[in-house]
Amino acid sequence: MRTTRVDRRSHAPQIAIYRSAFMIQTENLHKHYHMGESVVHALDGVDVSIKPGEFVSLTGASGSGKSTLMHLMGCLDRPTSGILRFDGEILGSLPDKQLAMIRNQRIGFVFQTFNLINRTSALENVLVPLVYTRKNFSRKIARDALERVGLGKRASHKPSEMSGGECQRVAIARAIVNNPKLLLADEPTGNLDTRTGEQIMGIFHDLHAAGMTIILVTHEMEVAAQADRMIQMRDGKVVEDTAINAGRREEMLGSAQHSQQRMLREKAPPAQSPLTGTLAPNPEPRT
Amino acid sequence: MFHLKIAMMAIRGLRQNLLRTMLATLGVVIGVGAVVSAVSILEGAEKEILGKVESLGADRVLIFNGSDKKSHRAVQVSSLLPEDAEKITDENPKLIKSVSPQYNGGGQTKYFQKNVSGSILGTTESYADINDYQIAQGRFITREHIRGSAMVCVLGHKVARDLFGELPAIGKNVKVNGKSFAVIGIMEERGAIGFVEVDNQIIIPVTTAMGRMFGARYVTMLVAQCESAELVPACIDGIKKTLRESHRIRAGEDEDFQVFTQDQFKQQLGQVALIFGVVLYSIAGISIVVGAIGIMNIMLVSVTERTREIGVRIAVGARRWDILKQFLTEASIISCLGGAMGVVCGWAMANFLSKFTQVFKVYTPPMIIVLALVMAAVVGIISGIYPAIRAARLDPVQALRYE
Ligand SMILES: Nc1ncnc2c1ncn2[C@@H]1O[C@H](COP(=O)(O)OP(=O)(O)OP(=O)(O)O)[C@@H](O)[C@H]1O
Ligand SMILES: [Mg+2]
Repeated sequence: MRTTRVDRRSHAPQIAIYRSAFMIQTENLHKHYHMGESVVHALDGVDVSIKPGEFVSLTGASGSGKSTLMHLMGCLDRPTSGILRFDGEILGSLPDKQLAMIRNQRIGFVFQTFNLINRTSALENVLVPLVYTRKNFSRKIARDALERVGLGKRASHKPSEMSGGECQRVAIARAIVNNPKLLLADEPTGNLDTRTGEQIMGIFHDLHAAGMTIILVTHEMEVAAQADRMIQMRDGKVVEDTAINAGRREEMLGSAQHSQQRMLREKAPPAQSPLTGTLAPNPEPRT
Repeated sequence: MFHLKIAMMAIRGLRQNLLRTMLATLGVVIGVGAVVSAVSILEGAEKEILGKVESLGADRVLIFNGSDKKSHRAVQVSSLLPEDAEKITDENPKLIKSVSPQYNGGGQTKYFQKNVSGSILGTTESYADINDYQIAQGRFITREHIRGSAMVCVLGHKVARDLFGELPAIGKNVKVNGKSFAVIGIMEERGAIGFVEVDNQIIIPVTTAMGRMFGARYVTMLVAQCESAELVPACIDGIKKTLRESHRIRAGEDEDFQVFTQDQFKQQLGQVALIFGVVLYSIAGISIVVGAIGIMNIMLVSVTERTREIGVRIAVGARRWDILKQFLTEASIISCLGGAMGVVCGWAMANFLSKFTQVFKVYTPPMIIVLALVMAAVVGIISGIYPAIRAARLDPVQALRYE
């Protein structure tokens, strides 16, 4: 059902904001890296379709191609082969200039390491996307974005004067300052403790409730379980793609707890709340 | 608006890294500063020398003793006699107004305890007229004084003041190099005529100077005043003819004297200035290149350091062209800032040196300021191109991974 093509012309009048029934649609997407003699298949035929308003978590072992897929969906890179549609448009055919505009206007990026500019204030950081927007430069918009992540009072602080969670909130404000339809977050809670991670997830839920499409890469099962749908990758392929209903969520949280207990048995873990845990490592080693 | 946003951003970036920005400008500051100060000093000196040359007057011809060209050695040949002055005047009646022979010596002038050292000029009564140099008190030396090798002197303004102060000087006796001279006049305050500080000079009859004082046969030079500046070429021909006859130089033989006009001095000055100019601008060019390399170096470091930032900027919608513009703008701002500071520093340096040494005056031509700033802008763009292209070419995915 997800792979059903939508005829753009017949739907255009009814759908005001979205040109397509799918926000993101990939067909047999490949991304290869050449490392000397060998070729790394970072993405090896990925077919996923994500509808507007979905909250998707993307999981998988390290090196399974999650970041690579995010970069392609975020117009930061071009696929080796295959088709990638963003809101119905085939990205491969667009010139750099237009991709830049899409990144600026329609996509927000949140990174594990925040990637803030350290020399400047929170507000300046949130202003960065507006510099590349051909609209009037408005500090008010940036302030509103900071307000939305609950940092209205800390606009003038520099990243070095803020906690990790606050930094990530600034980064989210930067990602949403142009009101994008799609928010891509690559392990946004990976560098944060559980409680701070929960706060960040709260913001994502708010943004999702406000209609934003969110794709979130994570290793943590509790985080993954909060989405409506989970896509799991292995060796550049999608191995699981399921909707998360209440039963499934219970199951996932249970397995998270289980793996947490196993970790406790194996080695001294960092202090964490009972709910925390990491996604069970891939049973089969990567080839 | 869009360009302004990027420029503002570049300025903010530079302000946040003030120390590095200042260090980056240093090369250009030094380069431009060196050029501006050197040009100021050179132009000032040229202007001053030119002023002195022009104070000689366009209708003057200076005749000096010649050098022996045949021996290929710079041996001075003395040949000019005091009588040559009168001969030239007599034989070129429509061309030459008057000629004054000059013998330049030096010595001590004493009046009781006061002692002044300065130049001593032996000349004739025409000297004052030729140079339009007026007597302030008493009278100038006359034809009779010349004929009689009289022991009389006329004091320059400063000499009179140093020796006598407010006291009357006319009629008093002073000792010049141990010989007693009667003061008959004091000259007006004039500063310099040509290259001579006349206020520091004592004038005595040429016959006295050459005979009783220095025991010389030949004069230092002759100064001829033409009827008008347009007649100078004709006067030179006349002077040469008279002197060749007087010195018995046959046709085809080299002259034993040299003739100079204001124009020739100016030409020579121009040549010297040109040589200095070439040396100066070469040094300037080198230091500007050094400055450019300095900026390029700092910009390359900056690009490497900000790799992640560049990745983020691309991720949030910057085009490669925007990144290029940002770094080019930064380089240009650094360079122009350096240029502006260089102009100020160079100007201050030249003026300080001038005040401190009192040897020369400075003049900063407005053109050099404009030129320096334009050059700085060009240097900024050129030295920024490569780092900016490096920044714009970065792969955003790699840049975001960069540690
Ligand atoms: N520029 C590159 N050159 C070569 N190989 C690359 C490059 N980028 C990624 N890869 C390879 O592609 C594969 C997928 O990488 P990717 O970063 O997408 O993994 P990931 O799922 O995000 O892993 P992690 O959970 O550790 O972030 C890996 O095997 C990686 O080594
Ligand atoms: Mg990754």
